[in-house]
This record gives sequence, C-alpha cells and structure tokens, in this order.
Amino acid sequence: MAQRRVWLMIVALVALGVGLLPLSQAFLGLRLTYTVRVVALGGALLGALSGALGCFAVLRRESLLGDALSHAALPGVAIGFLLAGRQLGALLVGAGIASWLGLRLVAAILQTTRLKQDAALGIVLASFFAAGIALLTYIQSLPDASQAGLDSFIFGQAAAIIQSDIALLGGVGLAVVVALALFWKEFKLLTFDADFASASGLRSGLVGALLSTLIVITIVLGLQLAGVILMVGMLIAPAIAARQWTHSLEQMVALAAALGAFAGGSGAVISALDSDIPTGPMIIVVAFALVALSITLAPGRGMLWQQQRQRENRRHLRSRRVESGA
Amino acid sequence: MPESGELALVIDDLTVAYDQKPVIWDIDLEVPQGALMAIVGPNGAGKSTLIKAALNLIPRAAGSVLFYGQPYEAARRLVGYVPQRGSVDWDFPTSVLDVVTMGLYGKLGWLRRPGRRERAKALAALEQVGLVEFAGRQISQLSGGQQQRTFLARALVQDAQIYFMDEPFAAVDAITEAAIVNILRELNKRGCTVLVVHHDLQTVPAYFDWLTLLNVEVVAAGRTEQVFTLENLQKAYGGRVTSLHGGQVLAAGG
Amino acid sequence: MMGLERALIELLLHFITREDLNAFLRSPQHTATLVGCLIAVCGALLGTFLLLRGLSLTSDAISHTVLLGIVLAFMLMTGAGLEGDTASPWLIVGAAAAGVGTVALTEALQRSGLVRQDAALGLAFPLLFAIAVILVSRFVDDVHLDDDAVLVGEIGLAWANTNSHCFARCESLRIRPEDPAAQQTRHCVNCRELNISPRDERAEFIEVCGNCGVYTPAQAWSAGLLDEAPALVFFPKSITVMLALTALTAGFVALFYKELKLTAFDAALAKSLGFRPVALTYALMILVSLVAVGAFDAVGSILVVAFFIIPPATAYLLTDRLSGMLLLGPILGGAGAFFGYDLARGWLFGIFPLAEGIAALNRLFGLQLPEAWDSSISASVVLTMFVIFLLAWILSPRYGLVASGLRRANSRRRFEDQVVLAHIHNHQDTPSQAIELRAATLHQHFRWTPQKMSRVLMRLRALGFVSLEAGSAVLTERGDAHVHAFRNHMLVAHNIPDIDPTQS
Repeated sequence: MAQRRVWLMIVALVALGVGLLPLSQAFLGLRLTYTVRVVALGGALLGALSGALGCFAVLRRESLLGDALSHAALPGVAIGFLLAGRQLGALLVGAGIASWLGLRLVAAILQTTRLKQDAALGIVLASFFAAGIALLTYIQSLPDASQAGLDSFIFGQAAAIIQSDIALLGGVGLAVVVALALFWKEFKLLTFDADFASASGLRSGLVGALLSTLIVITIVLGLQLAGVILMVGMLIAPAIAARQWTHSLEQMVALAAALGAFAGGSGAVISALDSDIPTGPMIIVVAFALVALSITLAPGRGMLWQQQRQRENRRHLRSRRVESGA
Repeated sequence: MPESGELALVIDDLTVAYDQKPVIWDIDLEVPQGALMAIVGPNGAGKSTLIKAALNLIPRAAGSVLFYGQPYEAARRLVGYVPQRGSVDWDFPTSVLDVVTMGLYGKLGWLRRPGRRERAKALAALEQVGLVEFAGRQISQLSGGQQQRTFLARALVQDAQIYFMDEPFAAVDAITEAAIVNILRELNKRGCTVLVVHHDLQTVPAYFDWLTLLNVEVVAAGRTEQVFTLENLQKAYGGRVTSLHGGQVLAAGG
Repeated sequence: MMGLERALIELLLHFITREDLNAFLRSPQHTATLVGCLIAVCGALLGTFLLLRGLSLTSDAISHTVLLGIVLAFMLMTGAGLEGDTASPWLIVGAAAAGVGTVALTEALQRSGLVRQDAALGLAFPLLFAIAVILVSRFVDDVHLDDDAVLVGEIGLAWANTNSHCFARCESLRIRPEDPAAQQTRHCVNCRELNISPRDERAEFIEVCGNCGVYTPAQAWSAGLLDEAPALVFFPKSITVMLALTALTAGFVALFYKELKLTAFDAALAKSLGFRPVALTYALMILVSLVAVGAFDAVGSILVVAFFIIPPATAYLLTDRLSGMLLLGPILGGAGAFFGYDLARGWLFGIFPLAEGIAALNRLFGLQLPEAWDSSISASVVLTMFVIFLLAWILSPRYGLVASGLRRANSRRRFEDQVVLAHIHNHQDTPSQAIELRAATLHQHFRWTPQKMSRVLMRLRALGFVSLEAGSAVLTERGDAHVHAFRNHMLVAHNIPDIDPTQS
C-alpha cells in the first residue's frame, strides 16, 4: 500500500513535469520559446541523473565528498578550455579528471597523514577551487573572446545549454543509467554492508571504484546546471527528500530522480525567463523546498507525524498513570 | 559433503598488523570439521581481526588460511559470514527480506537479479530465525535482537559449510539468544563448522564444544572441557579471572 | 573604531614619517599582504581548534551563510538610505548572528533524526548561499557586492577604501552660496512639470549652488579648495577591521587557552570538570563568523575557508604541541599571504617565474597562451598555502611522506624479523618442528617469496639470532632472549590503550 503511494507520487511528478510547459503557457501566459524547451529538457535530464546517483552518495555518507569533488572540477574546466577551446566535451573531460584527482588526493591525505576527513575535504575543496579561480582570471586576460561562458560553471547557466549539448548529456546520462541498472545488486550490497559484500565474493574494490566514477560523472555533467559551488545541493537534496517517503532503495532512487528532474527542469525554466537569476541557486531553492515539504509531511517519518506520535505517547502515559494512581 | 575428521579450517602462522603493530601474532589454529567453536579473549585481543583476516577483509602481514584445503578465493562458496551488528547503517532504506536475499548475491554472480527462487530461500531462512512475519518490515523498525536474527538469516541462505560469526550474542534479548543457540545447534547437526566470536565466559561451556582462547596469540585451543581451565583463562585475561568453580567464572572486564 | 584607528596612527607616526606611512599604505601590495596576513592569523588561531575538534567544515558552512547575512543587511541599509558599506559594525553583528544561526539550524536538522550530520551541512549551506546569490544577482546593484566580489573578494583594492585622518591644518570648510568659491548653476524648476525643454520661454529658473556644503579637510583638499595641503593619513579600513578582529581572536585564545585545550582534546572530560564545552563552541563559532565577515571584502565568501583549514592542517603535520600549532599556523598562513601576492603576479615564492612554465607548455602543446600571468590575488594566496601544505606533507621531519616511508621500510624489516623469530620460537621443540622449521621450505608458511625469506634469514643469522642445524632454523640463546623481550614489550603495550591526544 505504501509501495503504491510512492509509485503514484513518481507518476504524478513526471506527469506534472511533462504538463508543466503547456500548462504554464496556457495559464500564466508565459511565452516558451524553443530555447526554453531545450533548457527545460536539459535541466530535467541532469536533475534526474543527479537525484538518482545522489542517493548512493547520501547513503554512503559521502555528501560532503560530493561538495569537495564538485569544487575540485573547476580547474579541470579551465585547463580543458586552455587546451582545447570551448568545446563541452573537452571541458567535461577536464572537469572529470580534476574531480577524480581531487578524490584521489582526499584518499591520499587520509591514508598517509593523521588529518581527519573534514580537514582533508576542506583542503582539497579550497585549494582546487582557488586553482580554478586563478586559472579563470588568467583566461579572462586572454585576447580571445570565446572564453565567455566559463563563469557559468561556477553558478550554473542552464540557458547556455544548446541542442547539441543535450545529445551529449543525454548520451552520457543514458550510459550512467544503464550501468546503474546492470550493477544495481552490487551497488546496493556494497552501500549497505561493504564487509559482507567482500566476504560473499563481490569485487568490492572494483564495484566501489565504478560507483565513485558514476558519481563523479554525474557531478561533472550537473555542473552546467548547478555550478561547482552548489552542485552538492543538487546531488543530495532530492535524495534526502526521497528518503523520507519510502523504505525501499528502488523507490528512493526513482523518486529522487523524479524530484531531481522536477527541481532541475523548473529551476532551469525560471532562470531562463529572468536573466538576472542564475540557474544553480534557483534549482537549489526549489530542491530545498521539496526537502522541507518532505521532512515535515512525509507519512510516518516526517516531523508532523513524529509530533503526533509523541503526543499520543504522552496521552497514553498519562492515562496509564491515572489508572495506576486510582 | 566433507568427511568428518577432515580439517575445516587451517590457519598457519597468521600475523596481522596495523601500522607495523601486531594485532594478532603468528597464530596457528586447526578447526576440525563439524566443530562449534567459540573464540574468546579480552578486549583488543584480535578476535574480530582474526575473522576478518581469515576472510581476506583486511590484509595479512604473513601466513596462510585454508578452508577445506583450499585458499579463500577457491572456497568462497563454502563460507558464510555474520558481521557485527553495529557495522551497518540500520536506517538504510531496505526491508528484512531484502537484506536476507543479499546473502544470495554472491552466488548469483554479475548481472543476474534475484527472482522467485531466491525469495523462497530467503523466506525459508526467515522462518528458521522466527522472523517470517517481519519479512516486509523496514530494517530500522527492528529491535536489536531482531536485527541480529536478520543477519543470521542472511548467513543461513548462503548455505555455507563453515560460518564465521562476529559477536552475535552482543546486547541481544533472551529470545534472540535462545534462537541463536538453536540455530547454532541446528547448523552443527547438519555438519557445518561454526566459529563464533564470543564475549561471555559464563555461557561458553554450555554453548560450545570447542574453544580458542586468544590474546594476540593463541593461548589455548581445543575441546572446551580441556581448554576451559582457570590456568588458561588467567593466561588469556591476565590476573583478572579470579576463580572458576562449577562453570561460574568471575572475570573483571572482558 | 575611528578613535582606535587614530590612536594607532599616532603611535605609528612616532616611528615613521607621515609621507612614508601614506606611501606604504598606498601600495596595493603592502596593504593586500598586511590584510592577508591578519586574516591568516585569525583563521589559523581559530582553525586550529576547529581542526582538533573535527569541525573544519563548519567554517565552510559559516562562511557561506554569512554571505546571506551580509546581503540582507546590505539591502536593508541601502533601503534605509544608508551607504552600503560591508565594514559597518552593525552589518558584522547581523552577519555573525546568521553564522551562528546556521550552526544551530544544522544541529536541529540533525537532532530530528531524519538527516545525518554530513547531509545536514551539505543541505544547509548550499541553500543559504543560493538564496544570497539570487538576492545579489536580482536585487543588489553595487560594485561592492557582485558575483565576483562574492567569489574572490577585492584584496587588491583594499588600499583604496580608506578612512582619512587629519593631523594638522584641519579646519573643515563650509562653502556658502555667497562665498566666491561657490559655483552657481541655473536649474529649471518647472521643466519636468510642464514637460518642456529649458530653452522654452515658459521655463523658470533658480540659482543653485553646486558645491555648497561642509567639507572634511580631505574632501576640501581633493576638491582643490585649499591652498595648503592638510596633514592627512589615509588608512585602509580593512586593516583596521582585521586588526581589531586579530586582537579579539588572540585575546579570546589567550584568555580561554586552558578551556579550549581541554575541550579540543576531551570534550567529555571538560564537561565533567565543570567547563561548558557547548558555550565555548558557540563562542568559537561567533568568532569564526566575525572573521568570515571581516574577511569578506578582501577574499570573498568561499576562499576564506582555506584560511581556517589549510594553515592549521599544515601545522598539524609539523608539530604535536597545541602551542606549536598556534604559533606555526599563523606563520604559515602569513607566509601564504606574503608569497601569494607574488604568485598572482607570476612568481612562485619569488623564485620560479610562471611565465617560463607557460612558455614551456606553449612549446610542448603548440599553444599560444600569453606568457604574462596576472591572476586573482586571493586565489593565489590560497594556492600558495596549498603548496606549503604539500611541502610539509612530503618533507615534515616526523609525519612527512619521506620520513614515514623511510621509517616504515625500517620497521617493516624489523617486523619481518620478529615474525620469523616468533614462528621459530613457537615451533621449536614441538613434534611439527621438522616440517615447520626446514629452512628450504620456511617461506611457504608465511606465503613469502623464497628470495624474501632467504634475505630475512640471512639478516637474522648475521644478527646472531638464528642458526641452522641440519637444515632447520633454530633460535640461538640471544635470539630466544630477543623474542621474549619483544613479546613482553608487545603484550604489555597491547593491554594499555594508546594515548593519543587527538582522540577525544
């Protein structure tokens, strides 16, 4: 029964997403151009992807690792540009490599020094971001005018997504989803109980590296949408919201994808309509609204229900006390 | 089916170190087929480390471990494992049945998904531990004892020949303790070998027929009635074990 | 604040002439380096305690939220017609409250049991930062508060935002309409009302004084109203703000040193001794917020995190003592600020020119990158700190990669010796002796290669611990004593829990 409720929610969200554009056209009188539709589609795709993979980041307690990795991607974007010019493919490959280096550096610091995780993450986050900023400032001094738009990786700029980008993002995104489906059982077991996974014959090193790679790819793709600073919100907010509604990993991932698509799509459209509103922050605000709704309202788990339960317990206790007193 | 009299587990010169500091030190241990063995020792004696090193979960500095004469990689299918209950996040979004089914993932191999047969096996294991009516329950809603029994069921579906259990009796209710003991006996009757990291000296003679006393090194190993002596316990626990009469052990700490 | 500043300048004027002081402060490099050093000192002092308590990333959260506080206060102030100044004390207080609010908010989220700590942090600060960025982009139109200022600050311009202090010939000047210096202009009073051009004959005019009003000495001088220059000192506001914060931070650390030390190493013990770790934590967070606000103008809201985290982490690799960390952290951070300015202008540590590196890249990849490197100062400061961290990580005498690599190789050798000695000891004079101790097959028991085994055996024989008898390894008396000594040492050491000051 609870099962069905969540699937219904997912269907409703998807329907709402599909209907959003025509509805807003009809009722709000918004004029949605072809460009805006492309942007909305791109936003929804990336939102769905980060929502789905974000679940694993949250469950593996790696939310803040996601933050460090997205900051770490920035110098890669700049170097990709310096070496290959403004081609989305090159920028994303650069971002991926930088982000992966950040991941290795965090691991190396943790293995070889007595610094703890928070410090290791902070060091990588701050210094990679600084390297990115320094490179971007240098790039701005280049005579070439084509550097315009690199800033969009900092706060996200969905309006910069064009149709050829969609094909790339969609293709890579599809590959990530296929990998997720193929190795679902392995990812699930590894995330829940890594020791048991190894003991029962899973190649946990390999599976863990694969999962980390998928998360890095997701972060890198999502940068266009949310930007390096806020990407962590895009990654974990849909997952945290979805977690409140369901007790099954399958549903959590599906719902997080739907919520992510909703936040990504609507945030992208709003910011495309008003050029003063950067995409990333807008999406984060939408996504957090979903989190706030979820942690107050979600049946059984939300704060309202917790309070209700406490009140009932108290009443129960009081009546028992009265009985025993009598 | 392995013959009785065969050795289920042979540990030879096993040493494990964290940062060059030995945690277990040149251990030799032979466990005969069909033994129900407790591994007992003070805190920090390396009990869990012994199990984890045997299962290749942590690197060994030296030594070898053979399961029925084969190294771990070849004998994987014969081995079942019950990790410490506290080692996982019980707020993970999954159901009891799902966790138990995870015990079959290793046998399924890459790309194959669990189906009806796996479900039936998992339900049968839940029946054995008395949790069948909790199959659809979310794992965070279980009591500590029920969580432990879920882990036990997950190990049962592995259908192994030799089981390693890490502190299954830690902080569980009386019902669960009885259930676990029943299952241990059941497994033992079926001819399985079971190694249990245990912390309660009082119950050792009642539950286990074999015993290994561990404190970084093997202090003594063998049949419980031969090993469970005041002298051995004092060697393992230092002077903290003060007397031993009628199976009552007075031990401070541990 | 102005009074303090004036007192400070008067003190300085005892040692340096007014002209030299002005010339010194007008150099962008001097002011930027000074401000950077002061931020580094504050950051390192506070960051040390954050690091030891595993709260480093809380400084990240706070610096993000403080931006929201700044933006809101900025909007309120401009709304009320005040000049938006990011160094206003009220703004600082408000933003600090916002910072502390975040900490409380994340803790509340965590306590609800629905969201874990890392996720709560990961949720809270992107949200508050996102709101702040939207407000900045949408509603604030001011050079002091745009996206760039948020990201990297304007430490290179810190010299230009000054308070002026006058020390001689300090008459303020009032120009009245009847003064000869007054500039009268004609202004159409009904043009807008009637929608006519001033040339229209219906236009009515009044005379308006364009430059009337009260002039401070500095304003009068720069407007060219004075014949003789007043004795002025232009003092950058950032230096004053950061000096005050440094004094506050240093005072706090000095005053509560004992309590801070105790809470950093053992919060539970501190509580049982009657200190209040929670109150101390909040005091620490308030100071972190204040420093984040104070540093906002100079380094923006993201890079400031580096000042809290990197220098203390570097110091932690170099020393075991808290006092050592509190001394080294500020020095390392200051060095970062000092060399960072050079890096922004293309020189790493003032020695290696980046231009040559870029030229090499151009040759290597056939690129045409301009060789002149001119980059963000604050980002370069952070990068320099990171380079210093890398150096410490590799070279630290105790914890560096080189030192610990050497030590590990050494102790691995000794460890291997002990493994073999223990094995011989355990099997000597047992029935399995013949199998277990045969030198030719000894390596099989350890799963070692024969080469490694023979190397270890050779060493043990050279040390006189082991001898070969009839093809079997046997302990010598010396070897036996060695095994016993090691075993006693190891087992005793084992039963005593490690005392590591960093573990709480």
